Amino acid sequence: MSIKIRMRGRAKGGVAEVKALIKHKMESGARMNKKTGKPYPADYINVVEVLVNGTKAIDSQWSGAISANPYMGVKVKANKGDEVTLKLEDLNGQTGEHTIKV
Amino acid sequence: MKRRSFLKGTLATGAAAVAANAGLLTPSTVLAEWNEKAFKAKTVDDGLSAMFGTTSMSESGDIDLSAPAIAENGAVTPIKIDATKMDGVESIAIMATKNPSPMVCRYDFSGPAVGYVSTRIRMGETMNVVAVVKAGGKLYKKEQEVKVTIGGCGG
Repeated sequence: MSIKIRMRGRAKGGVAEVKALIKHKMESGARMNKKTGKPYPADYINVVEVLVNGTKAIDSQWSGAISANPYMGVKVKANKGDEVTLKLEDLNGQTGEHTIKV
Repeated sequence: MKRRSFLKGTLATGAAAVAANAGLLTPSTVLAEWNEKAFKAKTVDDGLSAMFGTTSMSESGDIDLSAPAIAENGAVTPIKIDATKMDGVESIAIMATKNPSPMVCRYDFSGPAVGYVSTRIRMGETMNVVAVVKAGGKLYKKEQEVKVTIGGCGG
């Protein structure tokens, strides 16, 4: 199952602000399961990429300190009609990808 | 999907396999390498040196860090960093000084990117948030204290 992403963006004056909401529990690995006394295994998104028309713009690395259901806002140089793609991967190898036209 | 199962299998067998992995797959097919050492580091200095190879930073007024003075819920603290005033911004990292592992995230910019990031981070208690910006090969920082008031007590 791929990671669900909601994305929005609008180009203005050659720069597009892109906002994305990602549905992910971002389990940090520190939270304890009270019943067993063991921590819940870590499961969070650690690699994020933003591409504009297929060209890499942003490479990002996340830790478990990013909130659950992460929000990410970035700005890229893009004109109206350009395609902005967001790619992610979590510790368990689950991936997500979403493309919008700004 | 083949690559996925391949990755899973090799990652499980430890660091040696990870190294082999990096050699086998070309950078164009795999997402960026994740700096595990920096994110697992327990102190700000350890995290910084693992991430950027240095701990020397200078204060900069050109970094616009906006974080709430009081966060009602530390698990969702909105942070915004605007370094568009600076030239040659290469990366932006966020650190939360008293978190068990202070390094929160790192963004590397290339080509069509602009030095701006907004996100939401987890914070365990009242502490400083540090925005680290790498521009022109040097590190700059801007700090701000965020009070976390879990349980309705204004610490």
